[in-house]
Amino acid sequence: MSLDRRSFIAGSAALAAPLALPVQVFAQEKIVRFTLPQDFTRIYTFVTSEYNQGQRDYFTLVNDRGGVGGYKIVADITDHANDLPRAIEAYERGKREGAVLIDPLSTPVARALVPRALEDKINMITAYSGRSDAADGSAFPYVLPLSINYWTQAGLIIEQFKKTEKGSLKGKKIVFVHIDTPFGKEPLPILNVLAKKEGYELTAFPYTPPGNDQSAIWPQVRRARPDFVIFWGAGVGQTVALTEAIRNGLPMDRVSGSVWLSESDMDVVGREAAKGVMKVEPCVGGREPKVIKDILADVIGKGKGAGPENKVGTAYYNYGVQMATLMVEGVRKAAEKAPNGPVTGPWLNEGLRSITNFTADGLLPPTTITKDDHQGGGMGRIARWDGARFVPITDWYSANQDVVWEEIRKNSEEFKKSGK
Amino acid sequence: MFYRRAGIRHTRYQDERQLFPLGFDRGLIIAVLAILLAAPFLFDRLYVSGYLLPWLIWTSAALGLNLLMGWSGQIHLGYGAVMGIGAYGSVHLVRLGVPLEIAMIAGGLLSATIGTMFGGAALRMKGIYLAMATLAMQYVVDFVISHSSVISGGSLATLQVPPVSFLGIPLQGEVPTYYLALGVCFVITLFMLNVRRTSFGRALAALREKDYAAQILGISTFRYKLLAFWVSSFIGGVVGSVLAVTYLRAISPDQFHIELSIQILAMIIVGGLGSVLGPFFGTALILFAPILLNNLLGFTAGTFGLSLPIDLRAHLPLMAYGALVIGFLLYEPLGLAKIYANFRNYLLVWPFRHAQR
Repeated sequence: MSLDRRSFIAGSAALAAPLALPVQVFAQEKIVRFTLPQDFTRIYTFVTSEYNQGQRDYFTLVNDRGGVGGYKIVADITDHANDLPRAIEAYERGKREGAVLIDPLSTPVARALVPRALEDKINMITAYSGRSDAADGSAFPYVLPLSINYWTQAGLIIEQFKKTEKGSLKGKKIVFVHIDTPFGKEPLPILNVLAKKEGYELTAFPYTPPGNDQSAIWPQVRRARPDFVIFWGAGVGQTVALTEAIRNGLPMDRVSGSVWLSESDMDVVGREAAKGVMKVEPCVGGREPKVIKDILADVIGKGKGAGPENKVGTAYYNYGVQMATLMVEGVRKAAEKAPNGPVTGPWLNEGLRSITNFTADGLLPPTTITKDDHQGGGMGRIARWDGARFVPITDWYSANQDVVWEEIRKNSEEFKKSGK
Repeated sequence: MFYRRAGIRHTRYQDERQLFPLGFDRGLIIAVLAILLAAPFLFDRLYVSGYLLPWLIWTSAALGLNLLMGWSGQIHLGYGAVMGIGAYGSVHLVRLGVPLEIAMIAGGLLSATIGTMFGGAALRMKGIYLAMATLAMQYVVDFVISHSSVISGGSLATLQVPPVSFLGIPLQGEVPTYYLALGVCFVITLFMLNVRRTSFGRALAALREKDYAAQILGISTFRYKLLAFWVSSFIGGVVGSVLAVTYLRAISPDQFHIELSIQILAMIIVGGLGSVLGPFFGTALILFAPILLNNLLGFTAGTFGLSLPIDLRAHLPLMAYGALVIGFLLYEPLGLAKIYANFRNYLLVWPFRHAQR
């Protein structure tokens, strides 16, 4: 290629331009800035876009009503595509712009950001992801799951199975089909401890990531004649797992997933075929909760919705709203404690860690975040797919928290020992 | 203009043999080095730890892979695994109380040992067959790390890097970590600049061009192929431990997957195989183009009130980025380093049209 000087200079100027762009700095005072770099393009895709849509719609609702405690919420959204350099850049950018909270919605990213968040005192939300042991607030003051971690979810599922079997799982066979990654193996310690305690027999069947072919696993699952099946994955692996479970004729009403199952997954599997399958619900699904109704009326109704209207009220959308309500409640609490700020990480942290009995008008189970318990009490419920929507079959409950907390303490002690 | 080359001839062998015989090149490099040295005090933290630090680390890794792929022509698709071995090896040693200086070298040695074991495959196969063998290495290492909780660190599979110090300086905050990465990158660059002037470098080049011809010339292909894998894996291991200590600070298996290997491969291909400058350019493009395009689009959308759906906004930079990479390779298959060389050659004889060779 022959290169003349003019095109070279023009080209390099074009390349350098984005670097020189001024970072927007809002001079107004009454603003709380969140940064939401999430994975829209690589692995979680539709999960993220529904989750994020819920968050933004709720922030719009809050801001249109005049904010909270005198503060408006500003949320910056970027795509980190689960790529660490991009995520860390987004984190640093957010920090520089004055963000006091980050929600990366990705386990690998959250794990890499933990040391930074702790050092910089920026609140990192690790909803259903990240490190399960971050539930121990004394070891992770700035890492806030604000939701039931994978260990608690496993504990809830086992408790539900126990109820189905009228109080005893002795001699029963439970099969755990999981994606063969650290995330997929995460519930294993809890399931193993409970196996000893409850007397059931646990068999684990790992499938290789990303999980778009599981045809070798499920016939083995069928042959094992399990009384119950738990399948653990997210994204593409979930729909394949469910499809294979149906094809192998497993009784759907004895199959349960974690929180990662939504209407969108069911569309792929076939709404009718999947009837009966269970999942863990961290918050109410559908459009009935007051918050969702408010969003429909005041945000979607006024044409300010952040995405397609038919996604409003889906499972992942509501998870996003759930997290957004908790963040906003944290701001409200923080503003109650120190109305004039200054808006910093520690300021918001105080608020987030004093959320008491918060239900967001019936969207969530009563959630209490304290300085020790970042999980918020560990309440969830089991819902069953009836062909059109997830119908709760239990009330909010919490189970096996002693076992879960033992594991949390074990890991957080280890973290304290090596991390500081 | 800048180079004042026309008419100037070297009169001593030493002048001709310098790494950078032209005064302007020397000045440019000193200027860049000075800027890099002063960067933590000149630039905002965002640019130091969000751009410069990863750039230096990934460039170091790309240089290591370039020795293997660009110089000796051995394809390697498992470089992420090589870095992972170094990272895990050194972090475990550091956790056991071994000083970082030794742990880094030990991590490099561990990578070199395992890397050479897999590199042995290169003695029997070439090209895409070797690519498959090294790909197997990637998966084997991934599997071993994520399946031994002793290595990956318990049920949560995250290994925290304890506070460490290098030569007595605690590596905390962005300044010391940045200087460590800069130092390592400097040493590796210096090594790569010199390697092509040694018999080792020339033997690798001969291997790359035709390995049996090299054998006939008296170069032991057995020895040099393994040596190429050894050196490149050693660099990979050391960079892996730098990556863990200065950048990630908590390592988990998914940070060293095939994506990392492909990313580094893309960097050296876009930058220019077999050049030292190439990885610097390639890394900058591959790491930062998506970020910059994303920010640019976000900024444009924000300023001009463009309301793009977030999904589209997230995907547009990817499209632009893909087009950018294809464009570069279409117009200059030899990579960004060659574009720079063209520009430099043009300036060398400016205002004249052709160089006198």
